[in-house]
Amino acid sequence: MKKWVFGAATAAMLSLSAGTASADVVKIGLIADFTGAFATWGVQFQQAIQAYQTVKGNKVKGPDGKEHEIQFVYRDNASAGPDKTKQLAEELVLREKVKMLAGFDLSPHAMAVADIANQAKIPVVIMNAATASITRGSPYYVRVSMTIPQHVVPLAQWAWKNDIKKVYMITSDYAPGHDASNFFGKTFQALGGQIVGNDKSPITETNYGVYMEKVLQAKPDALYMFQPAGAPSVALVKAFAERGLKAAGIKLLGTGETQEIFMDQFTDDLIGTVTSFHYTETNKNPQNVALRAQLTKQFGAKAAPDIASVAAWDGTDLIHQAVAALGPDAEGLKYIDFMKTAKIDSPRGPVSIDPVERDVIQNIYIRRVEKRDGKLNNFDIETIPMVKDPWKIENPPKS
Amino acid sequence: MLSFAATVLLDGVSYGMVLFLISVGLTITMGLMRVVNLAHGSFAMIGGYIAGYFTQRGYNFYVALAVAAIIPGILGGLCEVTVYRPLYRKGELSQVLLTIGLVFVATAAVTEIFGAFPYPVKFPEYLTRPIDIGFRTYPGYRVFLIVVGAIIAAILWWVIDNSIYGARLRAAVDNARMARAVGMNVNLLFTGTFVVGCALAGLGGAIGAGILTPEPSYSLKYVVLFLIVVIVGGEGSFKGSFVAAMALGIIDTMGKYFIAPAAPYLLYVAVFLLLLWRPQGLLPPKSAT
Repeated sequence: MKKWVFGAATAAMLSLSAGTASADVVKIGLIADFTGAFATWGVQFQQAIQAYQTVKGNKVKGPDGKEHEIQFVYRDNASAGPDKTKQLAEELVLREKVKMLAGFDLSPHAMAVADIANQAKIPVVIMNAATASITRGSPYYVRVSMTIPQHVVPLAQWAWKNDIKKVYMITSDYAPGHDASNFFGKTFQALGGQIVGNDKSPITETNYGVYMEKVLQAKPDALYMFQPAGAPSVALVKAFAERGLKAAGIKLLGTGETQEIFMDQFTDDLIGTVTSFHYTETNKNPQNVALRAQLTKQFGAKAAPDIASVAAWDGTDLIHQAVAALGPDAEGLKYIDFMKTAKIDSPRGPVSIDPVERDVIQNIYIRRVEKRDGKLNNFDIETIPMVKDPWKIENPPKS
Repeated sequence: MLSFAATVLLDGVSYGMVLFLISVGLTITMGLMRVVNLAHGSFAMIGGYIAGYFTQRGYNFYVALAVAAIIPGILGGLCEVTVYRPLYRKGELSQVLLTIGLVFVATAAVTEIFGAFPYPVKFPEYLTRPIDIGFRTYPGYRVFLIVVGAIIAAILWWVIDNSIYGARLRAAVDNARMARAVGMNVNLLFTGTFVVGCALAGLGGAIGAGILTPEPSYSLKYVVLFLIVVIVGGEGSFKGSFVAAMALGIIDTMGKYFIAPAAPYLLYVAVFLLLLWRPQGLLPPKSAT
């Protein structure tokens, strides 16, 4: 919260000083939750954007040879839902005259600005909001984050290839959880695998003892979890070890539960868990090393990158590139056309934007949790190159 | 099958013990003072955070538990004198508004101090391992919950049934005006009971942290559970809240096992039926019958 206020104050000061500077200012409106239940998203977005602009500078040289300063104007959605998002977007477009919108942690927030983007004809760079269908909502949407099926389908394929024949699924009872169990189940069964149990746990569940007893009785080769980060996933992993599933040789599979930013909450019981994800914090890409070093330098030893950070880093890169190529006053769809073909040198690895869907195509990494130098983290064991969102392959665009 | 039934029962009882420890203070204060204290869960949350704070820094687990009971107890006492006492004569709406306000204050305070993420308690190594209980191995932590819960319930039972404090407490719950009239210092009794209730909530929040993880939204998330225990047990009834906590723990656990898709609603259906059957709760104190 304090950091956000400070950030806003800095932004205000910058905009004052911009009047006297020779470079003109291109404003980008960033909407995310900086307070309330989803506050970490906003904080992680903002830190990564500031880190990027510190490392690479906040000015780009346009096609006219003039310098343009890219300035993010932050707005707090306050975990208050899509109505608030709409209101903030209108304010940013009308009063702040932003040239693009960016951010959006939750899917309903991203969906809420489609009309505004269409009317104002400005690009919307989505930095999280993972519901597969979102990018079809407006020609002005570009997504640099991920979709749930993008993680889940490669995981099911990996499991089948690695001698896992029977899987029990415990997924959280909300829309992304339904996507996860649906895509994991059908991919695994199509390969010949067997789903021996499919439980939906309430989104706030922290008492997994009973679920684990059922898993023990079903004797699967692996347990696939899709649980909200934090209390539910920590409790599930704890019960998994306590009830002897780990000792019984059952493998634990997941996706985003084991991100480095949550590692403090887990015990060594997590070691050996295999997850699939589009970003592994320990990878050695130069961009990742730069991002990590800058976050630590700027925000202290506890600052760790997550998917919000890499998406914000890449989204900022995309915006800088677009202004450098087309200047500050191009038409919205011109920016979009540029972004479709832009190359992003991402901390996560190779990333491209699908020119038809305006959605991200990227490597998916299969990782195992290990303890190295006394700390738990994810380490890549396999890379599945350039995965396109399976939902879009299944649901081709109507022409 | 038998060993499985025993497992479900143990799971239900250990969960019930956590609900009991946290709710028992609420049941007595609600029965005694007729204050709808929605902020009760916040004291449990604070207990959990304190235990987390000390255990994560390597302090002895039992020392951490003691601090996790004492600080919420003291906070509870201060709140009783300053915030709750003026409320006793106000209507229920004022009580609900003020206590829900306290919940928001507590939520914001722990977010500011400890951050927005869940804040785990580090239990000693021997509690995180499965132990052999004869017919199967079972999580040591759950055994610990059942043992501690049973000991505290037994102590409370004895105190309420046999001590002079217990006699006064029962008298004041049954008829506060009469108790005052015979010269009992009911105010002091209220404060004392409030302190003990909050301390028990803090302790429950700390040892129950393995099931109900401390996090900023803790109070809002679980307040309904705690209120259900109180209402089903009968306001002001210590034994009732014990029976209710056990029953709800077991019903919830069995529901998750046998009819998983309906489990989130089953608890509420059970509460609905129980209250149709006994509107005053399972074991209401004499004043209510």
